[in-house]
Amino acid sequence: MTRTIRASVAIALTVLFLGPATSSVQAGDRNRAKTSVNNKNVNRNTNVNRNTNVNRNVNRNTNVNIDRDRDVDIDIDVDHRRGGCCYHPIATAAAVTTAAVVTAAVIGSTVTVLPPACSVVIVNGFTYQQCGTVWYQPQFVGTTTSYVVVTAPR
Amino acid sequence: MTDTRGMKETQMTLRNRWMQAALGLALALVAVPALAQPAAPAPAVDPASIAALNSMSAYLRTLKTFQVEAVTATDEVLEDGQLVKYSGKTNIVAQFPNKLLADVTSDRNERQYVYDGKTFTLLARRVGYYATVPAPPTVRELADVLLAKYDIEVPLSDLFLWGAPGWNSGAITSAMDMGPGEVLGTTCQHYAFRQEGADWQVWIQKGEFPLPRKLVITTTDDPARPQHTAVYLWNLAPSVNDAAFTFTPPKGASKIVLADVGK
Repeated sequence: MTRTIRASVAIALTVLFLGPATSSVQAGDRNRAKTSVNNKNVNRNTNVNRNTNVNRNVNRNTNVNIDRDRDVDIDIDVDHRRGGCCYHPIATAAAVTTAAVVTAAVIGSTVTVLPPACSVVIVNGFTYQQCGTVWYQPQFVGTTTSYVVVTAPR
Repeated sequence: MTDTRGMKETQMTLRNRWMQAALGLALALVAVPALAQPAAPAPAVDPASIAALNSMSAYLRTLKTFQVEAVTATDEVLEDGQLVKYSGKTNIVAQFPNKLLADVTSDRNERQYVYDGKTFTLLARRVGYYATVPAPPTVRELADVLLAKYDIEVPLSDLFLWGAPGWNSGAITSAMDMGPGEVLGTTCQHYAFRQEGADWQVWIQKGEFPLPRKLVITTTDDPARPQHTAVYLWNLAPSVNDAAFTFTPPKGASKIVLADVGK
């Protein structure tokens, strides 16, 4: 019992101090088997990609509604059925784009999928993605690639 | 009659004595097991198993250059506890103290790790990204820095950490010899260990080269108990030159950053 409490506190503190950490766990997954017996702190839960839900359907054939967290009203164009059926493709794309702009404006936020219409810009040897007025910097978090919103580098 | 009574008395005395004796014997029989030392239970940490682990670790650290190919299967735990297993292949060439080249492919992605003693590069070839950072002078220090600062685990890191300075088997709370086991046609001895957060098993090649041939790690601090398995093929005399560890960006690859997630 004490061990569980200690473990929970450790995990909580780890998430607190390390923020969005771990590379090795796939987006949306809770955990991953330890791959080393000699490394400390190998197994951290991922929080980086959890809020975007963009890739959630890749791993599971569930009824996750890809637009669940959006504030955008998509009822106009979309057949209102859960389970991934019958979304009007244009409406879906529009919803994703709109939502990406809404969440991406915050400097320091991370996405795994870029909005459409980005162009590659190289500044000081480093590659950036400029999508309208929002600048994304590709990065490795652990060994996973993602894009973080940054202030315009030039 | 006095005789009869005398006889009765004698009989009673005799009977009492028998009863006393019987009672005494019964008590003794009860007492003996309690007093006798029970056979000592086998220690949780079998010293011979630890000795085998130490011998394997010491042998690993005598290898100056090696190439190892591992076929891996790793469980991921979905949010509701369901396990999904992903396969992978890792190929590592290591030259101690300060050269490393590793290629890791899995069902989901492909990464290359390049270390030449001065810098470390992570390459995602298919995606077209790479990132380079300054690196400490030894492979072992690199492994520590990568984990602490960038949350990157050097592939097959146990092969570098067993027997390294500062390593010992003190974390192990249970060690057992499970008997012989075969891995890819090679006879090995199979050991099972427990430590906090992980139960693990290693198959150590029998004979002159006590190499780990298979490793199974069960994560015990997640109720889903995900597992990781690695089977190793060794080449103890690879031909390498320094150029192998020097990174050149592939055509079209873009330079990005490694996020510093350190404490």
